[in-house]
Amino acid sequence: MTVTTRLRSGETRPAGAAPSRARRRRVASLKAFLYVAPALAFSLIFLIVPTLQTAWYSLYDWNGLSVATWAGVQNYIDIVQDEQLRDSFMHVGVLVVFYSFLPIAIALLLTMVISRAHALRGMSFFRTVLFLPQVIASVVIATTWLSIYSPNGLLNTLLRAIGLDSLTRVWLGDFNTALVSVGFVGTWLNVGLCLVLFLSGVGNVQPELFEAARLDGASGLQEFFGITLPALRGQITVALTLTVVSSLKTFDLVYITTRGGPGNSTSVPAFEAYNRAFNSGQVGSAASVAVVLTIGILLITALIGRLQPKDTE
Amino acid sequence: MKLSLGEKLVTYLVLVIFAAFALVPLLGVVITAVSPSSSTSGFRMPQSIDLGNFVEAWDRGHFAQYIVSSIIVTVTVIVVTTVLSVMAGFAFARLKFFGSNIVFFVLLAGLLLPAEAFIIPLYFNLRSAHVTDSYWALILPQIAQSLAFGIFWMRNQFMSFPGEVIEAARLDGATDLRTLWQIIVPPSIPSIMTMCLLVAMWTWNEFLIPLVMVTQDNLRTAPLGLAFFQGQHATDYSLLAAAGIIIAAPIVVLYFFLQKRFISGMLDGISSR
Amino acid sequence: MNGKKRSWTGVIAVSVAVALSLTACAPGAGSAPAESSGPVSKDVAGAGDVTLTVWDQNTDEGITDAQEKLNAAFSAKYPNVKIDRVTQSFADLKTTLKLALSGDNPPDVVQANQGYPDMGAFVQGGLIRSLNDYDGLYDWSSYYPESLLKINSFSADGKTWQGDNLYGISQTGEVVGIYYNKKILTQLGVEAPTSLDELEKDMAAAKAAGILPMAYGDIEKSPGIHLFGVVQAAIAGSDAVNKLVTGADGAWTDDASVTAAKTIQDWSSKGYITEGANGVSRDDALAQFEAGQSAFYIVGTWKQAAISEAMGDDAGFTTLIPKGADSPVTTGGEGLAWAVTTGSKHPDVAAAYIDFINNADAAKTFIDENSLPSVIPADYTPKPGLESDVFDTYGKVTSSGGLVPYLDYSTPTFYDTLTSAVQQLTDKQVTPEAFTEILQKDYSGFVGSK
Repeated sequence: MTVTTRLRSGETRPAGAAPSRARRRRVASLKAFLYVAPALAFSLIFLIVPTLQTAWYSLYDWNGLSVATWAGVQNYIDIVQDEQLRDSFMHVGVLVVFYSFLPIAIALLLTMVISRAHALRGMSFFRTVLFLPQVIASVVIATTWLSIYSPNGLLNTLLRAIGLDSLTRVWLGDFNTALVSVGFVGTWLNVGLCLVLFLSGVGNVQPELFEAARLDGASGLQEFFGITLPALRGQITVALTLTVVSSLKTFDLVYITTRGGPGNSTSVPAFEAYNRAFNSGQVGSAASVAVVLTIGILLITALIGRLQPKDTE
Repeated sequence: MKLSLGEKLVTYLVLVIFAAFALVPLLGVVITAVSPSSSTSGFRMPQSIDLGNFVEAWDRGHFAQYIVSSIIVTVTVIVVTTVLSVMAGFAFARLKFFGSNIVFFVLLAGLLLPAEAFIIPLYFNLRSAHVTDSYWALILPQIAQSLAFGIFWMRNQFMSFPGEVIEAARLDGATDLRTLWQIIVPPSIPSIMTMCLLVAMWTWNEFLIPLVMVTQDNLRTAPLGLAFFQGQHATDYSLLAAAGIIIAAPIVVLYFFLQKRFISGMLDGISSR
Repeated sequence: MNGKKRSWTGVIAVSVAVALSLTACAPGAGSAPAESSGPVSKDVAGAGDVTLTVWDQNTDEGITDAQEKLNAAFSAKYPNVKIDRVTQSFADLKTTLKLALSGDNPPDVVQANQGYPDMGAFVQGGLIRSLNDYDGLYDWSSYYPESLLKINSFSADGKTWQGDNLYGISQTGEVVGIYYNKKILTQLGVEAPTSLDELEKDMAAAKAAGILPMAYGDIEKSPGIHLFGVVQAAIAGSDAVNKLVTGADGAWTDDASVTAAKTIQDWSSKGYITEGANGVSRDDALAQFEAGQSAFYIVGTWKQAAISEAMGDDAGFTTLIPKGADSPVTTGGEGLAWAVTTGSKHPDVAAAYIDFINNADAAKTFIDENSLPSVIPADYTPKPGLESDVFDTYGKVTSSGGLVPYLDYSTPTFYDTLTSAVQQLTDKQVTPEAFTEILQKDYSGFVGSK
């Protein structure tokens, strides 16, 4: 990406002695650098260097307390061979579907149906409500859903109330439903976000386009694929990025609701990294998981970025 | 633009359904919070409103202390982030300097890196420096994280600032610093405020960094306090619901007053959390 | 990316790599705090104003009350000492203690879980101090039976459990056994079980009568250790299990353990244990038992006070005698060990505090709060009912060598391995054989590397 800089035009030179332009530029450059130096220092010390250290740690076996022993790439081999580690990456893949694909699909579907919602009165009220889950602390959301999924919680109570007793179960304790239950929380979190995003994007489309399409006799579906979807490319990219990255980073929710259980059925990479680093004294292994996770996130973000239309940043 | 009645109905219906979908779990929390506390009862509509849970959660859970910690950390992060972001954003947008591309790239990395990428060594580094178990261990890394977003945001903001005003100021002999703080910043306050709100929300809600960096009870931030409270009262859902509301309330209240800023801010920014 | 930027990135990357390689020592070098040593004394009053930070997980009813009383009594005896007590659940303590101990201001006194995952790691990292010198002062070796002291001991390098250095002493005795509801058993016309076969017969009777045989909630993961421990001990006997946990001999894939796993999975299939236990909290399961909704509940004696208060005379406690043996064998030992951290600035006061909350008077306080002390006063006659069940059992198993250690002591990662495996076992996600293989994999990796 490029940084556009504005040249100082109309620069006047003071009368009398004129320092060389090059020197002035150097001084100006240094002064400008000072503006960013503190931020750069923060970034290097607290983010960049530790990230490089994580890669370094991943080459060792370390319990966090005594001296480490060299492990080479063994930790990375373990990620492929160890069932627990492998599974944690599979699980997060499942979560991506629930956190990202499902909400986006649902939101797109709805946008197709109510593409002119932005013109309605009271839209801002709906926007506020739909967006609300996004601002609540993840820990609070986790304890909320813990309660909802509990054996006598809201979900089972509702099921019983409508006569679907047979469907009740211990959602977070059942090997078959635990991961999906966690995923569904993500769907709940992100549907509103995507809907708001897409509706605002559609609102930017010139109404004449829709009028013209209607006059031409285009069906709703044609209208959707021909006008709406391309117009939403930018928003879809943003939605994908936000939701996919947040699902890959899932930690808080798993920590509070299941701690990776039952068994290891809801284990995710972020949780494995934390647990191995700070609980079971396998810092090297934890670091390797963190490295793989980070690279995955960066790759996927770059891939999604390619979907971006060129005129938006 | 006119919508037909049918279209209006369908639209409202869809919106109402999904608004309800978003609200029902949250309403469930509120209802649970005002139900009498007990360990074995399931979800049911309470006969009367009982606010005792809030008092009990507050007392037993030491939430006063946790909220103070959260406030200290959040305010400090906001202040430092704002100052540094404004300055750096201005430099990227309006000044020319050597290596600006590289520096911007480095700062952008902070936007893309998840906490898991750096937290493990960061913990051990800060431990060696005897900084863990202090507010600084919470404040400094979160400043670093917030800066990535803040600089990106302010740079965008300042890039779209009308160039003529700046030129005029320079012609008048204003220094860069003056130009920045007295000319550019005041009209940009709304945008800066949006940034502050988002940083506030992310910092307040942060869980992993306090979990790792802080072990003393009196330094715990609110979300962390809730997590440990939950560990001790795992099945007392009424109490937990009340505690959750206490923790989430500050940001939610802010949100209701300033929703437009929150929403536009989050949607306009690149994914950062 | 333009070419200019690429070369700059390269330069930065290379210079950082060079910088890092210069610090080529492995992580963790030189990070262990030095152990302070010097003359030890019993003098507390002369230590001046001291605040002792104490971390414990004594959250169970009765035990926490006793703890509060003892803390108050200590402060009353030594007004210059203030106790700053931080209590957490067992699971939370497990998570936070490592981080706290290696920080800059560690607590003075902590409850450390025995075995390799916790105490072993702490000793290896030089985070808790050997108490041999204080033992000389307070003569704990005469007060406690050797077996109890051994559990709290490690070699100085932290690599061998039950080594020569004492690292803590424990307040409470612990036996994991089967609490039963006397009324329900009478209603079913059965006696309290003393063997595995009898237990299964009783549970079948309960099931036939429409009563939940055994309440069991394992979402917190730790109850799985107790369930498997009790069944395995009743089949394998104390010698085999002891050898297994201490790494002396045996394998988790031996017949006895496989049979134990089969038995438990059987119980799950037959509906003897709470359905969907992996999502049920142990607090909820206990509440079910206390409300008279199940016949049995497996847990340790730390719940004696709570159950006693909820059920009074209706509750009993029993343990199982393996086939061919004449006394019961079960999981147990003592409560977490009270240890002094190496970072403590007041080791003398800390040691005096530990002695105070563990001595014979403290034992009486625990008895008053319906809890089992680690050393029952010789002259004490337990009250008939639950207390005598618990106390007599404790006496029996400790004197006949019938106690086997908590299974999670076996390797540094065994707590995680075992708890998650039991969850899979009860949910029929793995066969009993596969279950034992999961355990053996972790175990052989550790034992092989010692």
